[in-house]
Amino acid sequence: MQQGPGGSETEVTWEDQQNINKFGRLNNRFHELEDEIKTAKETNDNLEDASNELILTDEEVVRFQIGEVFAHVPKEEVETRIEEMKEVTSKNLEKLEEEKESVLAQMTELKTILYGKFKDSINLEED
Amino acid sequence: MAAASSSSASPKTTMERRGIPGAQFVEDVETYLSQTGLDVNSALAFLQERLQQYKLVEMKLLAQQRDLQAKIPDIEKCLDVVATLQAKKGTGEALIADFEVSEGIYSRARIEDNDSVCLWLGANVMLEYSCEEATSLLKKNLENAKASLEVLIADLQFLRDQVTITQVTIARVYNWDVHQRRIHQTSASTAAKDS
Repeated sequence: MQQGPGGSETEVTWEDQQNINKFGRLNNRFHELEDEIKTAKETNDNLEDASNELILTDEEVVRFQIGEVFAHVPKEEVETRIEEMKEVTSKNLEKLEEEKESVLAQMTELKTILYGKFKDSINLEED
Repeated sequence: MAAASSSSASPKTTMERRGIPGAQFVEDVETYLSQTGLDVNSALAFLQERLQQYKLVEMKLLAQQRDLQAKIPDIEKCLDVVATLQAKKGTGEALIADFEVSEGIYSRARIEDNDSVCLWLGANVMLEYSCEEATSLLKKNLENAKASLEVLIADLQFLRDQVTITQVTIARVYNWDVHQRRIHQTSASTAAKDS
């Protein structure tokens, strides 16, 4: 987001400045959220793959990573653990998506206000 | 947000936050220039320098944020391990785990029933704790890390706001200067036409 040069006629009030600041903050949060959502999706996929592998394997004991070591854990316990982890990750993903929607909505609203006042003098798009 | 509410009350006072100077909001460019007694170029130079300082601080804070964001999952993993050991304690069977001896080389370990774990505290120091003590210590570390991260994120937001204010001020001072030059040029050419 760039702040283009202000027109020589339009004055920038403190409220405008606060709006611009808020837009900047929301934009940053938006990018952070995109990264977090990408990571969460990857984790979700990995857990999916893991539980699929689990169904295919016929071993009774599975090496499940806890911390830095791989502990020998019975297959059922691993299944339960993976299910729990999948729950947590999908809830997290949902929460992140919701936040992203809200951030986008707020940004659109601010864009309307700021473009309304500054028209061409301000640029709020991604370069 | 606390910083935002205080700034909406008094836009003219410069707030400071943990050593980061606040950027003064400029209501009117002309008044600002006469108040500071600077000409346009000096004002622009001062503002640019401020911007650079802000950028430096931002890089430092971002690095700290990355460190903390890496530390938190580590602490959570440790808590996981201690919890697993505690769970195994009740059953009486040993925990068999494959661990990394060196890169790419793993060995099998048999972890018997144990009441204590050793925690690495950093600076080549490792202490033995009972499982409960270890859990509470790790939980406390996790809370501290999360709290520090929150403060850091708030600092970064404040900093980014100051950067935005400074950028907008630079643009406005520059435009005011261009506008002034245009006015002088028009009046000078009108005067030349009249004479």
